[in-house]
Amino acid sequence: MLLPESMSRIVVAGTKSRMEDAIDAFYSVGSLHVIDHTTGDDGLSIGSPTPSTSKASERLLKVRAMEKELGITNKTSTADVAVEDVRKQISAGDVESVEREVLEAVDARNDLTQKITELNARKQNLETLERLSLPLDLYSGYNSLAVLVGTTVADPTALSIEGAEVFADYRKKKGGVVAVFVRKESADNAAAALADYGFAEIQVPQGPKGLTPAEALKKVDADIAAATERLEAANTSLDALRSKHMSFLKGTDEELAIEVEKGSVPLRVAVSRYSYVMDAWVPTAKVDAVKAGLEQKLGDDVYVEFQETRGRKLADSEAAEPRFSKVPTRQKNGKIVSEFEYATSLVSIPRYQEIDPTVLIAIFLPLFFGYMVGDLGYAIPFIILGAYGLKKTRHKDWRSIALALFFGGIWAAIFGLFFYGEFLGMHFIGGHYDDVGAWHWHEDSVALGGTSVTWDWIFGQQFPEWFANMMPSFDHAAGTHHGVGKLVEVGFLLKLAVYIGIVHLAIGYLCGFYNHMIQENGRGAFFAKGGLIISFFGMIAFCYALTNAMMASGGADWGLLTDGGTTCVVFILSIILLAIGTGIGIKGEGAMGAIMALPEFLGQILSYTRLAAIAMSKAGMALAFNYICIGMILPTMAVIDAAGDTITVLDPTANIAFTIIGILLLAFLHLVIWTLAILSGGLHALRLQFVELMTRFFDGNGIAFSPLREIRKKTFFSSKNANIDTQEV
Amino acid sequence: MVVTEGVADVTNGLIAIGAGLAVGLAGVGTGMAEKDIGAAAIGAITEDSSLFGRSMIFMVLPETVVIFGLVIAIMAIFVM
Repeated sequence: MLLPESMSRIVVAGTKSRMEDAIDAFYSVGSLHVIDHTTGDDGLSIGSPTPSTSKASERLLKVRAMEKELGITNKTSTADVAVEDVRKQISAGDVESVEREVLEAVDARNDLTQKITELNARKQNLETLERLSLPLDLYSGYNSLAVLVGTTVADPTALSIEGAEVFADYRKKKGGVVAVFVRKESADNAAAALADYGFAEIQVPQGPKGLTPAEALKKVDADIAAATERLEAANTSLDALRSKHMSFLKGTDEELAIEVEKGSVPLRVAVSRYSYVMDAWVPTAKVDAVKAGLEQKLGDDVYVEFQETRGRKLADSEAAEPRFSKVPTRQKNGKIVSEFEYATSLVSIPRYQEIDPTVLIAIFLPLFFGYMVGDLGYAIPFIILGAYGLKKTRHKDWRSIALALFFGGIWAAIFGLFFYGEFLGMHFIGGHYDDVGAWHWHEDSVALGGTSVTWDWIFGQQFPEWFANMMPSFDHAAGTHHGVGKLVEVGFLLKLAVYIGIVHLAIGYLCGFYNHMIQENGRGAFFAKGGLIISFFGMIAFCYALTNAMMASGGADWGLLTDGGTTCVVFILSIILLAIGTGIGIKGEGAMGAIMALPEFLGQILSYTRLAAIAMSKAGMALAFNYICIGMILPTMAVIDAAGDTITVLDPTANIAFTIIGILLLAFLHLVIWTLAILSGGLHALRLQFVELMTRFFDGNGIAFSPLREIRKKTFFSSKNANIDTQEV
Repeated sequence: MVVTEGVADVTNGLIAIGAGLAVGLAGVGTGMAEKDIGAAAIGAITEDSSLFGRSMIFMVLPETVVIFGLVIAIMAIFVM
């Protein structure tokens, strides 16, 4: 479970004439991770794609282009189609005929779009010219005159050019428009004069004699309306084509992609004149099945030879030929744990020679999340959301997030009920019974004018004793508290977080030790990680003794002799451990690394106090929101309780409007806390795995095991016989 | 603030200021460190989204500093 699956290397050789059958057989066994052939001096070269591949890839290009034109994406949901039907349609030339149909419609649409663009440009010009109120035919047809028509930035109405007639108009928002009729020989002077006004020439549309721009505009508008109507019709026919060919296109896309992929396999294989040779990694447990499967399909035309089963020692991989040195990683996790592989892959794929941290993430991520959220009220929506996500989504990434939320929610419920005793940031129990069985509220309770709202106060009813006894209790001077108050038992929560950190880190260091042990040997592991582990425990003992001594606040013995000398013993032990650990570390990794590691331990352990800090931050927000919404908005009244104390209780007879406002506001504010809990709780729980745990032992940079296998989502084999082909042996 | 015999007891106030400074200054320091790393990390993730996990590790490294500040603040208020 911890290490990736053991891998073996095999060689498959066969006759080149049956290459295509062989590729089908490779795909059908589904467990061959091909090792790419690199041309060497062994007289073998790289193969060339199968003959049908080029046609298939040409068709694939056409299909993808059509999908793009018709707006068919990965997210478009279409009906699944049978592989046999798709193959039949492809060989009957359906791709080409559909392409003709689609291209025709697309061309028609594109032509219309272009036409509308042109008409709009013409319309704009006419609108500009309309301001000069000259008929369109007057702008052209002169022998000795040049006509300059255009827009200007500055106001051209005062413009006068010698030997020229100027028509101009200027509006502040639209800018200026000017038409200059000038003798051809003075045209340059006119152009130079116009340039100062920011002149930009426009095209004057041709028109019959006497046609004014306004009349021409009417005609253009009518043309645009007609073209738009035709464009709508063209779009409708494209939509019809889209729904008609959608499933065919997606099915063909998938089938052709598989065909092209299969056809390119020879590029990864060594070939000679009459034969091919392929190296591949196969999970050790499947070697025999793969061999049997290939021989059954290809008979005497294939020869499979087992080469080696690769061990976990680094030396083995270094000794191997370069292209065989990296072994693909196939993570070996159970059904539930494997859902968390996404989290591991966010950092890197584990190496073949190291522990796969997925199982540790699967245990600790939800646990930490639950510890930080620690509230039954927030836990229930997390569980529901997680369960809903698991039911709805098939996507690997989302499933792992949903699963983390689900288990995180369960842990949050457990912590919320049995540890913190909280629901929506409010403790269940807000008081205690005294020796004679009379009920007293805690000092900070709203009943006595404090800020802490609790459920028994809201209900006006104490919970039974067995319920209170489920939670840990803490004796305070003012009475017993049930449940860990996140803002009360701060010291306890901090210490607990540190202890959790020590356990988590120790697991990390032990995994590191184990990695080195399987990669090298016991001696190597001892020098690489053993010293570090001894120093780690030495540092913990050192800090423990130091904290004890500090808390005892000095004296002649510096507080070391408190606890009857235990502190002193621990202190001496810690110094010895630190000395031994650092000594081994210096021999193993050098002085720099070994000494630098010592202060780092402190940082790593203290990093876990965020577990307490985030729990506290949420409790602080909830305390404020609950007090505002319930303590301040909901109407209350003062009564004298059984013990004779004057207390505040909710007034059930008061105006209900306040109750509704209070509850709505409460719901909204808790939604805010809940959303923040996903971010802070989830991200920090993940961070503790990535940074504190995984950097202790994880190298990563592995390559994923990717066997030759058909992945079909949109197509299926309709007959049972054909289905056997895709089964994994 | 408690006034006893004309002398104001500001101990609690000083503790609160100390705790605030511990978290606040540590937070500013962490923010300055994370600013550059964050910008670079987003750049890297835009290029190659598979770098998310590794970027996140570097991104949150300076956070330890603010945790130190937090521990000191909590100890100042609740433990001492």
